[in-house]
Amino acid sequence: MPEGSKMKKPDVKVVLLGDMNVGKTSLLHRYTERKFKDTVSTVGGAFFLKQWGPYNISIWDTAGREQFHGLGSMYCRGASAVILTYDVTNWQSLAELEERFLSLTDTANQDCIYAIVGNKADLTDPKAQLSHDSIGVSEDQTQCEEEMTEPQILSACPTPPASPESLSGLILHKQVAHEDAVAFYGRILRYKGLEDKSSLPPEKMCFETSAKTGYNVDALFETLFDLVLPSILRKRNENQESPTVDLEVCRGAGGRRARSTCC
Amino acid sequence: MEAGTQEMPAFMTNRDEDVTSDSWRQHRKHVFVLSEAGKPIYSRYGSEEALSSTMGVMMALVSFVQSGDNIIRSVYSELHTVVFLQKGPLVLVCVSNSRQSEEQLRGELLYVYYQIISMLTQASISRIFEHKKNYDLRRLLAGSEKILDGLLNLVDSDPSFLLTAIHCLPLASSLRDSLSQILQKAITPNLVFSILVAKNQLLTIVQEKTVIEDARLEPADVHLLLNLIGASSAFQAGEIWTPICLPLFNPDCYFYAYISYLDPPECTVCLLLLSTDKEAFYAVADCKRKIEEAMVAQNALSLIAKAHSYSVSQVGVSDLRHFMYKPFDVPDTYRQLTQFTSPEMEAPYSSEEEKMRLLDLYRYMHSRIHSSTRPLKLIYHVAERETLLAWVTSKFELYTCFSPLVTKACAITAITKLLRWIKKEEERLFIRYPPKYSTTPNPSKSSRGGKSDQQDSTENGFLTLL
Ligand SMILES: Nc1nc2c(ncn2[C@@H]2O[C@H](COP(=O)(O)OP(=O)(O)OP(=O)(O)O)[C@@H](O)[C@H]2O)c(=O)[nH]1
Ligand SMILES: [Mg+2]
Repeated sequence: MPEGSKMKKPDVKVVLLGDMNVGKTSLLHRYTERKFKDTVSTVGGAFFLKQWGPYNISIWDTAGREQFHGLGSMYCRGASAVILTYDVTNWQSLAELEERFLSLTDTANQDCIYAIVGNKADLTDPKAQLSHDSIGVSEDQTQCEEEMTEPQILSACPTPPASPESLSGLILHKQVAHEDAVAFYGRILRYKGLEDKSSLPPEKMCFETSAKTGYNVDALFETLFDLVLPSILRKRNENQESPTVDLEVCRGAGGRRARSTCC
Repeated sequence: MEAGTQEMPAFMTNRDEDVTSDSWRQHRKHVFVLSEAGKPIYSRYGSEEALSSTMGVMMALVSFVQSGDNIIRSVYSELHTVVFLQKGPLVLVCVSNSRQSEEQLRGELLYVYYQIISMLTQASISRIFEHKKNYDLRRLLAGSEKILDGLLNLVDSDPSFLLTAIHCLPLASSLRDSLSQILQKAITPNLVFSILVAKNQLLTIVQEKTVIEDARLEPADVHLLLNLIGASSAFQAGEIWTPICLPLFNPDCYFYAYISYLDPPECTVCLLLLSTDKEAFYAVADCKRKIEEAMVAQNALSLIAKAHSYSVSQVGVSDLRHFMYKPFDVPDTYRQLTQFTSPEMEAPYSSEEEKMRLLDLYRYMHSRIHSSTRPLKLIYHVAERETLLAWVTSKFELYTCFSPLVTKACAITAITKLLRWIKKEEERLFIRYPPKYSTTPNPSKSSRGGKSDQQDSTENGFLTLL
């Protein structure tokens, strides 16, 4: 069989998890196609191969619908990074991450990296309403962290303040504060038994994004890719050291074992 | 329909319609799904919450009639036909002013039921409601409304559903054969169906040998698959892996469907691979790579791009405006999919309203032909702006539409010519012999080790189907 017909072997796997309608597909679409367009609720999961420099990163965009819950741990198997996504205007979407999605990550790698992402920030935060189409987004991220207090003021308002002329959108009540996400991140580390280790600090791993305007979206993906780089390199090294181990074989064996234990 | 609404804010959908408005009441066809306990599950227009009292009334009606051991089937008023269908713990209701027959409307409700089954399986729905009569099924179906909306739009606009037959794209038989061969060569254990679709029409379908010996793929299952593809096409660059149940094949088990477009960014040619193994994504994705390569090598994509539906003028019969022909004479040993062929709808049927009007005339003819009380073999119907002739024999079912002034004798002559033309073109119009493959290694060659291991897993795959 010609080698070329095999899939470019992904170096690493990243999975998007979160309740339906939080904007997982929109985030990925914004990152890969630089656009925000109408989506349809995802069925099952969608696999994307993203070329990142010399590396092939596979990204699974999963369905948030409860109907597909049973598949979640399959999509997460062997993941190096999981993006746990919620909607900043919907408290329940954060609660669902803890109740429904966290346990799916049990099949992820031991050293898997977790990012908590509050999407739809454009609805609550005037700063995220500006268009962030191109590069330079990472600058905005630092700005955002400096001005972390602003969203708090908004969330304290029982009714949204009248939106300034310059802003197109409507300001909605922010239901999830950044602190809530940070606290959740702490609980994830505890759940994974990672809290003593030199784990990644929550300031770095809790994002607020807008797929609609592009706010913080590149920063999210690029940060994650940078962080999984060591695990890519390690994997490439391992493959070189033991040339007899074929990825396909590992996969096949893993699949079969998993089946016999779960059925 | 979707295209026109793109500029609309996302929250302005069918669900947000004011259910007390006149426009809501005037929809051609409402469809509601509720649980036996009367909990709303789906409504085509307006949110289920807003309608829960309406659905409550329907449920009361159903249970009132049930209590008399008399299952309610339909209610007629001057303007509307209300049809009920109870399937297990689900009650489906259609309220229509489309003047379709009760049987046709019930057939459409059955499609809605099947689409729900395709997402959840019959077994799991029964299990859920046995466990909790009051369960809110919207929890599991949330997000699927668009799939059901899309299905109902297709049911209204695509005669495939009325005829329960597949429309395949006309293609030189040599090209269709080479596409089938490409699919036949790209296989992996537990792969059972390989399907190639272009412009929402079937190009070819290749099936696992042992599977089709037990059961055949029904047109309705293919319709559900095509609708699923249509509904998941929003994000076309990725490769989708999702469980799907084919209710007529087996209502209680899932297949795993791999869906990917072969021609991004146009995304008109879609590959669908069905496996029985949940974990087979990477192996199945490799089949796609092989198929992609072979298609490039044979320049197949640009050949497919040139294929299109035909014009009725190619038949060369004056006065014939449109037709639908569904043959029954396919050799049964091939367990062939029921198909039909039909030209493009051209002037005077190019506007949406006129298309719908012609389809309604066909629906009327169909209901007369298939009437449960007085079925007919031949109908000659002179309508206001056209003349229609429908004819059913043991070999085919045919619906034709002529210009209004055609005489009966002329129409009969025209049909003879049409049948001759179809016979001549049939290799191009239909998939004649669906090819098969076997993913089970040849037992005589297999020794111990890897091969027999593979065979085991194949068998396991089939077992889960039973
Ligand atoms: N205002 C705003 N709306 C957004 C944003 N991201 C997504 N949306 C909207 O939210 C809805 C859901 O977006 P999707 O990306 O389909 O959500 P998802 O998480 O992929 O949902 P599932 O596939 O069902 O799990 C769509 O109507 C989007 O237009 C955002 O950043 N801001
Ligand atoms: Mg999605």
